[in-house]
Amino acid sequence: MVVGEVAVETEVIIIGGGPGGYAAAIRLGQLGKSVVLIEKDKLGGVCLNRGCIPSKALIHTADQYQRLNDLGKMGIRLSQERTAMDLGVWQDWKAGITSQLKQGIAHLCKENGVTVVKGQAAFLSDDRIGVETDGDFETYKFEQAIIATGSRPFIPSFIKVDGEYILDSTSSLQLQEVPSSLSIIGGGYIGIELGMAFAKLGTKVTIIEMANRILPQIAENLVKEVTRSAKKLGMNIKTSTRVEKASVVDGHVHLHVSSEEKGAEVVVSEKSLVTIGRIPNTEEIGLNRAGVTVGEKGHIEVDMECRTNVPHIFAIGDTTPGPALAHRASKQGVVAAEVIGGLPSAVDSPNVPYVIFSDPQIAGVGLSREEAEQQGYSVKIGKFPFSANGRALATDETEGFAEVIVDADSHILLGMHMVGADASNLIGEGVLALEMAARVEDIALIMHPHPTLTEGWMEAAEAVLGHAIHIVNK
Amino acid sequence: MMEFKLPDVGEGMHEGEIIQWLIKEGEAVKQDQPIVEVQTDKVNAELTAPAAGVVKKIFFSEGDIVEVGTTIFTIQEENDVSVPYKGMIDEEIQVVQSGDVIVNAEQITTKQHHEVVRALATPFVRQMAREMKVDIEKVKGSGPAGRITESDLKQFKENNSITLEDAKHHDSKSVQEMALMNDAIQAKGVENEWEERIPLKGIRKKIAEHMVKSVSTIPHVTHVDELEMDRLKEFKNQLKEYSDDKDIKLTFLPFFVKAIVIALKEFKTLNASIDEKTNEIILKNYYHIGIATNTEEGLIVPVIKNADQKTIFQLADEIKQLAAQAREGKLSIDQITGSTFTISNVGPIGGMHATPIINYPEAAILALHKMEHRMVVRDLEGVIRLMMNMSLSFDHRLIDGVTAVHFTNRIKELLENPIRLVVEMR
Repeated sequence: MVVGEVAVETEVIIIGGGPGGYAAAIRLGQLGKSVVLIEKDKLGGVCLNRGCIPSKALIHTADQYQRLNDLGKMGIRLSQERTAMDLGVWQDWKAGITSQLKQGIAHLCKENGVTVVKGQAAFLSDDRIGVETDGDFETYKFEQAIIATGSRPFIPSFIKVDGEYILDSTSSLQLQEVPSSLSIIGGGYIGIELGMAFAKLGTKVTIIEMANRILPQIAENLVKEVTRSAKKLGMNIKTSTRVEKASVVDGHVHLHVSSEEKGAEVVVSEKSLVTIGRIPNTEEIGLNRAGVTVGEKGHIEVDMECRTNVPHIFAIGDTTPGPALAHRASKQGVVAAEVIGGLPSAVDSPNVPYVIFSDPQIAGVGLSREEAEQQGYSVKIGKFPFSANGRALATDETEGFAEVIVDADSHILLGMHMVGADASNLIGEGVLALEMAARVEDIALIMHPHPTLTEGWMEAAEAVLGHAIHIVNK
Repeated sequence: MMEFKLPDVGEGMHEGEIIQWLIKEGEAVKQDQPIVEVQTDKVNAELTAPAAGVVKKIFFSEGDIVEVGTTIFTIQEENDVSVPYKGMIDEEIQVVQSGDVIVNAEQITTKQHHEVVRALATPFVRQMAREMKVDIEKVKGSGPAGRITESDLKQFKENNSITLEDAKHHDSKSVQEMALMNDAIQAKGVENEWEERIPLKGIRKKIAEHMVKSVSTIPHVTHVDELEMDRLKEFKNQLKEYSDDKDIKLTFLPFFVKAIVIALKEFKTLNASIDEKTNEIILKNYYHIGIATNTEEGLIVPVIKNADQKTIFQLADEIKQLAAQAREGKLSIDQITGSTFTISNVGPIGGMHATPIINYPEAAILALHKMEHRMVVRDLEGVIRLMMNMSLSFDHRLIDGVTAVHFTNRIKELLENPIRLVVEMR
């Protein structure tokens, strides 16, 4: 910074063009604010470029690939030649998807008057920000700012991600060939999603999880189906196991692991993937110069309006405490934008839905049974298995169930969870129901289209009331 | 967790108005520390903490009307070991010493980090609440299972806008109803709002109920007479130096109290009431005189107990103190109940005649009107005298017109000739 420099003035600065940042930028544009959106890499952030979208493209591809093996029983005779997977072609296809989406965002930003600047941003004070682009440095003066810098994979110090043998979630989605074997450190949702996808593509997958089961954050009854399915896919799941050391020997990764049950052992695989968590990107943006305080774990505390301790600076998405999910970031982005625009907006609901693209999928919203009981509710549960649903049978996707959790006193829905095909789409009904403060009767009384999987919700709700049609009510 | 329910601090009260919270949620309190000021039947009562602890939740805002028996706040007692569920569990990567990593799953959970307490309402209604600047947590839902509907919000806003928002602009917590109604009409008139609805509550409601009961039970008759005040004024002026020495501001009122007490002793049915249940007339041999006092809160009637046993100066002093306490809303139940006869002194404001409503279950009420110099005829000559009217409403079940006139004649005799008053005083 030099004396006498001229700062570009704007009403709002947004740092980070991920699903939170660009949603905020577009909404601010709609509200007539002058907005500068600074992105150091690619619009769309992790979600679009390295996370949600590419991983779902891979998962879908793997599903299709695996499906081919099951078509025989439906009478489809494929040629006897072995079906091959060309991951190089897949990369191009994936690049096409992300590119189309990025162009869409860029177009929307432009149409809404958002100025997109590529560069690395850092606060200079509480009303100035510096942006470095290919050696150039420009300063911006703002009235309000939104921090939307997201998060990155956490890698423990004794593991070095080289992108070739030891991968993080980003580099695993850039592979040009299907690895013959893959060890995954971490049995959380990213590890399970990618692990199952690669297993379907023919990779021998080993999951190493410290907790006593995979997906430890998700209610145990929901995870059982996935564990069973993983084993059917030939995945090797090592729970209660910790990784001590990782090294590359003769073109293979050697993971030194230990567990109480089996003691120390070495897991050898062609590649290894580290997916043990994410940490917020809050260190290198000069927050201290803006006076924004950061918690012990690097998160920025915000209120319901997404304001930080500095009232004109907001933070959203993975930089704030809470689940690192794109839809949470987007919601916060819109709220922050509306608050800046003078609207009475707030993140006023604890209902953050979650979706896991495992096989079968898991999705849910609201409280689990355990959480509801911990909070002092007396709880009623209704459950309906997919195996009793006509559509599930007709599409050969009979694994899983719908579950509704209800406050026994008021019959208000507390949680809706599902394991099974298309749970990720079906949870929409659950989110709507919980946000509308619906009672279980509201779900039971709605005419659900037949034959669809949505009938599962209706039957689970009826089960709570003791009169589900397609199962025996106990 | 201890729930504090609104007790019956008045005499069979059914509801009270929350006037002021003296603590905030989360604040630690000692036993017997004042927590909340509640307006009961014409009295402000300070309610205190039943136990030491932390105030966990306050359920009503200032201005809310609460039924007796409703929980108004909760206290987490000091020795209560139950820990409230925090609704959040940090699941972060735990890095143990020497780079040893506890492999843990990514952050994905149904639990929110923040404790967002969501009221039972649809997203649209919650948004509406923000727009209306209503704290939705305080709105009671009328929908299924207590859901808050749009109309609940509107009703809440209607009921609270005046007491909560407008009242802030007034220095006193006064209501205000009448004044505000005028303000509102003036302010809103231009906005084409031809009428405004203000809930009938608090003191105004109590007054209304009391008046209806009185008028619908007691057959009222009002008799008016006039008094010549010149001699009493002169007499009072003669006492001025003496009262100044005693630091007492002497008004006409203590003389009226004395004259009335003397007359009441002679006309016992005027210091009486009817017990409708037993069909008995209760003649009272004690003389507790209520002084209807205009305060910003509304009409309050502090009572001078045993007025017959007090001197003029003692009465003057007591009237002054009671009036001050009434204006500050600091009268106790004891100080506003038990009157046997009421005086309504509207003279300072103006007016010639009135039909005062009896302070049920008493037998009569005397209104004192404006004192002014008027032309009157004395010895067939027009002269100017300091005149004052008084209106006596009486219970015609108990008192005949003749008795009432004799009663006012006696008062008149005593006040127009202060010497006689002095002679009759005990």
